[in-house]
Amino acid sequence: MFAYDSLHDEGTSIGGPTKQSAMATNSIKLLTGNSHPQLAKAVADRLGIELTKIMVLQYSNQETSVTIGESVRDEDVFILQSTRPNDINDGLMELLIMINACKTASARRITAILPNFPYARQDKKDKSRAPITAKLMANMLQTAGCNHIITMDLHASQIQGFFNVPVDNLYAEPSAVKWIRENLIHVSEGGREDRNKENHLGRNDCVIVSPDAGGAKRATSMADRLDLPFALIHKERQRPNEVSRMTLVGDVKDRTAILVDDMADTCGTLAKAADTLVKHGAKDVVALVTHGILSGKAVQILKESCLSKLVITNTVPVSEEKLDALKVPDGEKGCRIETIDISPVLAEACRRTHNGESVSFLFSHTVV
Amino acid sequence: MRGVKIFSGRSHPSLAEAICERLGTSPAKCDLGNFSNGETSVQIGTSIRNQDVFIVQSGSRKINDSVMELLIMIAACKGGSAKSITAVMPYFPYSRQSKKKSHRGAITARMLANLMSVAGVDHVITVDLHASQMQGFFGKPVDNLFAEPLIARWIVSNVPGWRGAVVVSKNAGGTKRVTSLADALKLNFAIVSTDKVRNQQHTDGMGSSMFFESLEPQSVRPVRTLSDDEAGNEAENATPEPVSRGQTCVRSCHPVNGVSGASPAQNAHGAGAPLRFVSSVPASSPLVRNTRADSVSPPQPPNRPNQVNTEPSARRPSEYESAEEYNDERAREVITGRLIHGHIVDDDYPSPAISGMSASIATLPGERHVQDAMGNPAHDPMMSSFVSTVSSLQPDHALGGSFDPAATSDEEEEGIRNPELEHTITLVGHVKDKTVFLVDDMIDKSGSWIAAAETVVKKGGAKRVYCIATHGLLGDESLEEMEECDCIDYIVITNSFPIAPHRLRHSKKLVVIDLSNLLSEAIRRNHHGDLMYEGGNCQQASSGVFGNQPCVKFIGDSNTTLTTDLSCKTYITRQAASLD
Repeated sequence: MFAYDSLHDEGTSIGGPTKQSAMATNSIKLLTGNSHPQLAKAVADRLGIELTKIMVLQYSNQETSVTIGESVRDEDVFILQSTRPNDINDGLMELLIMINACKTASARRITAILPNFPYARQDKKDKSRAPITAKLMANMLQTAGCNHIITMDLHASQIQGFFNVPVDNLYAEPSAVKWIRENLIHVSEGGREDRNKENHLGRNDCVIVSPDAGGAKRATSMADRLDLPFALIHKERQRPNEVSRMTLVGDVKDRTAILVDDMADTCGTLAKAADTLVKHGAKDVVALVTHGILSGKAVQILKESCLSKLVITNTVPVSEEKLDALKVPDGEKGCRIETIDISPVLAEACRRTHNGESVSFLFSHTVV
Repeated sequence: MRGVKIFSGRSHPSLAEAICERLGTSPAKCDLGNFSNGETSVQIGTSIRNQDVFIVQSGSRKINDSVMELLIMIAACKGGSAKSITAVMPYFPYSRQSKKKSHRGAITARMLANLMSVAGVDHVITVDLHASQMQGFFGKPVDNLFAEPLIARWIVSNVPGWRGAVVVSKNAGGTKRVTSLADALKLNFAIVSTDKVRNQQHTDGMGSSMFFESLEPQSVRPVRTLSDDEAGNEAENATPEPVSRGQTCVRSCHPVNGVSGASPAQNAHGAGAPLRFVSSVPASSPLVRNTRADSVSPPQPPNRPNQVNTEPSARRPSEYESAEEYNDERAREVITGRLIHGHIVDDDYPSPAISGMSASIATLPGERHVQDAMGNPAHDPMMSSFVSTVSSLQPDHALGGSFDPAATSDEEEEGIRNPELEHTITLVGHVKDKTVFLVDDMIDKSGSWIAAAETVVKKGGAKRVYCIATHGLLGDESLEEMEECDCIDYIVITNSFPIAPHRLRHSKKLVVIDLSNLLSEAIRRNHHGDLMYEGGNCQQASSGVFGNQPCVKFIGDSNTTLTTDLSCKTYITRQAASLD
């Protein structure tokens, strides 16, 4: 967590001095596949550029075919591709083929923007002969011709070490902190309590909770930033996506518990954690998650859970049906879903990478 | 077999089981599944430490999932300390994307090869690669097996009167692939080519001959465009017994060819003089009968397909000019037909609006497609700058490379169904009242097959049509469409690509040739080849993995048993030697 605290001084203000150099002659080309066009559009708008024309088709036998519609010779190419649930391998092949097409078309530099890194959870040999697929991903991206990776909230930061090319692991934390400040508690930037905001909670009414030991670091960092107390749930996991027993460490009684995690897949963990928190006397449970994959029975599980709100970012596309299914009428109890837009962060990272400015500024500051 | 584990991906489990059955084993335990978000999960269920691992995976309807599954399985085996990992891919995915088809297209096949190397594969076994140059994409050894001997054997034992049949190439690009089947069976050869309409009346000189000129200069030089009846009659009258004539010629030439025929090894190694005769065989035209008579030696060695038939005959014009003197005038017929909306039409059928077509920018198939979708037609300066009558024949090469015969069929397919376009379909060769083997390397979409079949039946007067391909991808509804086409009598494919059982059941024309024998033999040989290496034989060691390649290529030939026995004997003697 050094990145958060020690690197403040390196940052410049947003849109600050731009290094004018020979690099200025080439421009950003932003490409995207079929996985998350909305996010790509938002990033392109933010950068004030058009998405590069590209055709990603499938042959009748489902092989992917890519044609890039404009020249990318000697340009700074950014390729944004997220993971659409149940379509991950197609998205991945699309990405690899796009990278390869740009490479053979003589792009100067190819940066892959992977808001949600695919196969990030298969990052260790947890059983004998289990594949380390995240490492395989890293090798494949490099083999295809990727020169730089921008990603967000890696499941394990060690994945950065799988690459021999630079990896910028951005954090959704600043955006999440901002959201909490604006929507939950009335503590302003300086730590001074802002009594003007109605319906907001005081500092002692909230607690940050990590649903598992692995996420403790992420949660403590956020608790530090907000100057809030912290609790932890220890879970015993028998199989992936399945949780058996939970133990709470810390005090949540009569407080609003803010669950913090990096991804919500089937949401089993979140639902069980919320149950545990309510059992221990929490007044309200809100979950803040970076990657809202919401696969499998997630919608069903969320509806039946004690969560009052699930806040996700738009790193992963969530289908309209799922959002509709999770809509709760005003005044009724139930799990509401809210989305934080992280396209400004990605756009700023692109701009800074292109101009050769420091990206670490984004680790601790939100982009407005 | 000891020290061998064979894993099966989810794309083609039945083939993997058949292979294992032949090897007297069963597929090794391996749990394959998906996480709830769609990520592929692989769990190898048995120890593979210091074992030879073979992973059988073909393509499937979810081809990217199959590819990822294979890559992850390879990575898992690598992480599990396998001694060697061999990917057995009867159908190599993305093999059609083996070159830059348009500006800024990806060479996906090469990328896939790199990805597999990176995942940790040591060896690749595949069948009938779309372009054999793809072997060069790998840094690792690739065994490209041939299904042709199996197909030839099927023809010999299942097609009545196959000796009078004609092998027809479905498109000009695939000719090279197809000639070897004609050679193996000693059959006549013809070619069907689809082309955009260049000018409404095909005049003698520039019309259809120019296209072939660029491909096979020697073969069509004295082209005459005949109307159907003329062509049919003339050919009929003039060609009494083509096969027997050919045989006579061969017999008379026998003494000359005794050298090359008697020493197959010499041929395989591409040694000077004998090969020059052999390489003139694939002249893809009616002349082939004559030239073959000059060149093919009757006791052809079993490794025929292995021979380098690739040397472009255009480089030796002198040889051909001399051959031409003995040419049979009657064989040089070119029949053209009009193809609208994927079907043959009569000559008086009204032409669709194509007036401005000809050799303009719109004739470039791949590009036209792209630009329409992009919404800015004809806006690429790179494109318009190099369009001329000559380069418009080679639309696929951004930088104007040479004409690549490997892959024209897929692009062709896109245009055929376009109702706006009229195509000229050209048949070169004599097929009247004959059985036709329409051959290419894969059946994906049906359009070009149906068009070619209609041409040989309706224009050429063929008696029966067999559509033959190694890889039956049968995308979309192509099997059903071919099933409905009256001009196609049989569809012959191998089981390199999985076919849904219900399609197989409902199809009356489909014949599937089993490849498991070929693949299991390749696996067995690769495994034993390694053992020989370990046995400490220096000669074997120095030749390394490449040493077993030629021997693998014998497989599946008519005398498989012979070579199998041989290899076993060698293996045993070597083992004995090392024990001493």
